[in-house]
This record gives sequence, structure tokens and C-alpha cells, in this order.
Amino acid sequence: MNPSNLHSISDQITMPEQEALLTAAKITMRFGGLTAVRDFNLALHKGEIVALIGPNGAGKTTVFNMITGVYKPSEGKIYFMNQDITGVRPDLITKSGIARTFQNIRLFKGLSVLDNVLIANHLHLESGFIQATMKLPGYRKEEKAFREKSLALLERVDLIGSCNDKAGALPYGMQRKLEIARALATNPKILLLDEPAAGMNPREANDLTSFIYQIKAEFDLTILMIEHHMDLVMDISERIYVLDYGITIACGTPSQIQNNQKVIEAYLGVDN
Amino acid sequence: MNTRNKILTAISILALSLFVFYADRHFDIYVVRILNVCAIYTILGLSMNLVNGFTGLFSLGHAGFMAVGAYTTALLTMPVDVKQQIFYMEPLIKPLNAMVLPFPAALFLGGVLAALTGYLIGAPALRLKGDYLAIATLGFGEIIRVIFTNTQNITNGALGLKGIPAITNLWWSFGTAAFTLLVLASIVNSSFGKAMKAIREDEIAAESMGIDLFKHKILSFITGAFFAGIGGGLLANLLGTIDPKMFNFIFTFNILLIIVLGGMGSFTGTIISAFIITIANEVLRFLDESINLGFIVFQGKVGLRAVVFSALLMVVVLFYRNGLMGTNEFSWDRVLDKNFWLKPWLKLRRIPLRKGGNGK
Ligand SMILES: Nc1ncnc2c1ncn2[C@@H]1O[C@H](COP(=O)(O)OP(=O)(O)OP(=O)(O)O)[C@@H](O)[C@H]1O
Ligand SMILES: [Mg+2]
Repeated sequence: MNPSNLHSISDQITMPEQEALLTAAKITMRFGGLTAVRDFNLALHKGEIVALIGPNGAGKTTVFNMITGVYKPSEGKIYFMNQDITGVRPDLITKSGIARTFQNIRLFKGLSVLDNVLIANHLHLESGFIQATMKLPGYRKEEKAFREKSLALLERVDLIGSCNDKAGALPYGMQRKLEIARALATNPKILLLDEPAAGMNPREANDLTSFIYQIKAEFDLTILMIEHHMDLVMDISERIYVLDYGITIACGTPSQIQNNQKVIEAYLGVDN
Repeated sequence: MNTRNKILTAISILALSLFVFYADRHFDIYVVRILNVCAIYTILGLSMNLVNGFTGLFSLGHAGFMAVGAYTTALLTMPVDVKQQIFYMEPLIKPLNAMVLPFPAALFLGGVLAALTGYLIGAPALRLKGDYLAIATLGFGEIIRVIFTNTQNITNGALGLKGIPAITNLWWSFGTAAFTLLVLASIVNSSFGKAMKAIREDEIAAESMGIDLFKHKILSFITGAFFAGIGGGLLANLLGTIDPKMFNFIFTFNILLIIVLGGMGSFTGTIISAFIITIANEVLRFLDESINLGFIVFQGKVGLRAVVFSALLMVVVLFYRNGLMGTNEFSWDRVLDKNFWLKPWLKLRRIPLRKGGNGK
């Protein structure tokens, strides 16, 4: 069974005829009696920016949690680069190339901005615990490389000036940026952004749009994003999935979504 | 580290060595003993702080690991005839009965055995979180005691061990404390240590940054157990007698008090508070005895000291949650900064700080 052929029912548009990088096949998540996500299908192709939208409690974050291994789907399978990653531990999924940010920013608040990024490099470390403790040359070399890479990354996202500050002391917008920078430091192929523009005004959200475009190009990323700012979503995404009460009610290009009656009723109608 | 700081560090190490040299020869036995205990408590505090303060694991099994180290080191250093003498209920099993190792080797083996025990306990227990881990490790500490009370032919049961050679001196205790600090500080500042701190800060975020939670927790736990075992070994060869009762929860509690008072996540704080607590423990000894002030007889109560320490822990937790140092560490730059000393005074008088002083 080819996983990328499994998104038939809910896909209302023709998909590019290309192997998907990430595929979710009918994933379902039940919490006791509540079905947070039901039969969700996803195909994410290399280089795409795809959005996942839906009213509050629709199950968007739950989809992220299943992809990143925080929850094991009650049913269904997830494939990344044709490997079954269903129920694999979160750290191993990140190692394989899927990084994320969190809806409620989860930085290492008590640690410095630089340390936050350095920690995201740890998964690449080849030296062992003893070598690191004894500070052997091989370890020192790796440590130095991490440091340079992290500083360059912080320079790139304009946080270099605060690199010794505690992450928790940064203003909100910068914390969001740092969280993205930290995710980038793991060298992901796919970046999952959970409401990156939450709490931002239209101008800040606009800046974020161009920022996301830039990092996508620079780091050769594929992006799946949850977002409530409709302008941003319509502007940036190539395709959109719409969830409502855990059910995929539509999937298509921004213009298709904007004109979809179900979406207007369930989501845009309510929200606007 | 720049040259100035290197020189200052070298001078401090030299000064400490001179102090140990002098104290070893001239201080009276009672004071030397207290200093030894200070250093051993430092080792125990540092190792517990790695686990509880830096990795954020609420572990209460420290006394158990110390017991393993203490018994191992003691049994491996006691002379054969002493062993024969004290194991009169049941003889000591082979090959322990005829085995005598040099102190460093025995101490190291004590640490290794404690670390091994740490692995056996940690492997299942570290899958638990927060309070559950605390309860599981607390249970382990008690189980070790029960086991040691009942393995007559290895531990001599409730009778305990006597006549352990008094090898621990100030060189051993301060040297080992310095070595412990060196190793643990190196771990904490390494990439692994950063991963441990990340786990403390936010487990979910740490895991999603690719950190293997279990691997790093168990590394921290095993390292903590290793140095707890070493501390236990030093203690056994300082006191000369040990028995299972000694390693009860109160012991773990005392070390917990040290790291909470000093600051969870600060080795500097642990060292300072290990000395404060140990010395206070001696100074406040009068609380457990009755003293006659001439005009009034103060009726002490056995256990009153423990009450004072418990109250102290409560006050710290309620009002000074960060302890003496929070997560800050000693650094020459900070200490040599004028503002560091002036700050409290200037704050008092509401004078703004001088700019550019803190070397950033
Ligand atoms: N661990 C959990 N246990 C029980 N129920 C959960 C759990 N996680 C999520 N849910 C429930 O699943 C549903 C979907 O939650 P989810 O967080 O995925 O929504 P969302 O689309 O991200 O919403 P929002 O826009 O508010 O972030 C909600 O009803 C939520 O209460
Ligand atoms: Mg959400």
C-alpha cells in the first residue's frame, strides 16, 4: 500500500503527482469518549506551505501532537519519507527531521537565549557523556561548531543582542521568534508552527509572513502551520485543510476555501 | 577563563591547600572532624543537586546510595581480624572476609556499586514523574535499609560495622569534594548538562528538541548515585562505625535542606550551605541537651534540633524559594565587580547603579 495514495475522500483538489514528504492516513485521536480528530488525511509535499485552520477546539493542535509523537493516534498511520513514524517517540521524530513550535510558547525560560538554541543542537552531538565530561578535543570541536552555528542563527533572526538574556525575559514577539530559531537549530526538513502569529497585531503578523517565507527558502523547509489570522493564512499558504469538531470539512487552495460553503458556515461565518 | 581569573583560581586552590595542610596538623580533633563532615556533606549536596536541582528530578533516595557506598568501602578496607571479630552472629561471606583493598580503590568501588544500584532503581522509577518519583525513591531508601538489616552475613545486620579504619582525613575529604565539584561542574556546563537543564525547565519542549528524556535522566541519576556512594564511603571511614539506622530518611532530608537552602541549581550555594548546615548542626546541639545558664535551666528536648531544621526548610520554601544563590554561580568577574558589593547598599539608599560595571 502506498501511503501517499490514501488521501482520496477529503481531498477535493488534484494533488501534485509527487511522493509526499509527510503523509497522514486516516489518523484518529480519541480521548476517552471524545474524538478530537477523526480520519484525518494529510499529504505534505516538499517545499509546500500548508495551513491547518478551524475553530477553537477543532483538533488542530492534536494533529500536531500526533505527528510529533506526543500522542499516539488511536487509529491510522503517519509516514515521513516513506517511513512509518506512528507512535514513535517525540525525540526520535525530531531527530528524523520534524521540528515544531508550541501554541503556548514553551521556551526554556530560565536559561539564556543562546542556551535555548544550543540545546536544540544537542541531538546532533556525536561525542559521548564521558568524552563531554572530560572535555576531550573531539567534543570541544563539536561544541565550538554548535556555538558558531547558534550565534549565526541568532544573528539571522535578530536576537543576537539578547543572546545572554534569560529567554523568559524577552518580549512576547521575540519569544515567538526564538522558538522558531530553536526549532531551526534541529535542522528540520519539516517545520510545524502552531499559531505563530497568536497575539500579534496586523503589522507584526505581516512581518512574520515575510519572515516565514525567508526561512523557508533559506533552510529549504516544508511548512505546516496552524493559524487564526485569516489574512496571513490566505496570503501565505498554497493549500489549506479545514477542521471542524475533528472532521476535515474542506481542503483546497485559498480561493477554494474562501468560497467553500461548509467552511463559511462552520468557520468563517462564525468567526467574522 | 581569562588569565587574571586563572591566576585567582590558582591562588585560591593554593590557599585552600595551605589551609588544609595547617588544619590537618594544628586544629583540634573536634574541629577537624566537623570540617571533614562539612566536606562530605558538600559532596552529598553537590551530587543531589545535580539530580534534583539541575535535572529537576524529585529524588529522595540519596541516603540509600550513600549506604551502598559506605558499606562497600568499609567492608573493603576493614582488616581481616576485625571482620572476624565483629561478624560473630554469622561469618562474613567469601571473598569479602579475606579481601582488603587500598582506600582509593575501595572508595571507587563504593561509588561504582552505588551507581549500579542507581541504574537498577532509576530504570523503572525514572519513568515516573514528580511526586511519584519522590515516593518511589523514598521507598527504595527504606528498602535498602531493610535489606542491609537482614543480610547478616554481608552487612552484619543491625549490629552494623565497627572498627572501620579511620583513613578519611582533611586531604581525602576536601580533595574528593574538589574533584566532585570539578566533574559535576564540567557535566553541567557541557551539552549534556544543558540538556539536563532543558528537561528541568520543560520536559515536553526538551523532548520535542530531540532530547532523549530517559537517557539524560538516568545519566544524571547514576552520576548522582556514584558521588553519593563516594560520600558514603568517606563518611564510613571517618566515623569508624556504621549501621543501617544511620542512613534513614532524616539523612536524605538534611541533604535536601542543604540544596534547597543553597539554591536548587547552584553548586556555589550548595557548598556554602553545606558548611552552614553542618556547623549549625553542631552549634545547635545544645537544643537536644539541657543547659544550665546559672540562673535558669533550659530544658532541651531530644529532637528539637530536627524541629528547628524542619522549620528552617519551611521558611526557605515559603519565603526564599530560590535559596541563597538561586541558580547563580560564583564567578570572579561578578565578585570583582564593584557593583556586586555596592548593590545592596546602593539599593538601600536608592542611588542608581554605575553604568558599564558588570563586564557584559
Ligand atoms: N490530552 C487531552 N486530553 C483530553 N482532551 C484533549 C486533550 N488534548 C486535547 N483535547 C481535546 O481535544 C479537542 C481538540 O483540542 P485541540 O487542542 O487539538 O484544539 P485546537 O484546534 O488546537 O484548538 P485551539 O484553536 O483552541 O488551539 C478539544 O476539545 C480538547 O479539549
Ligand atoms: Mg491549538
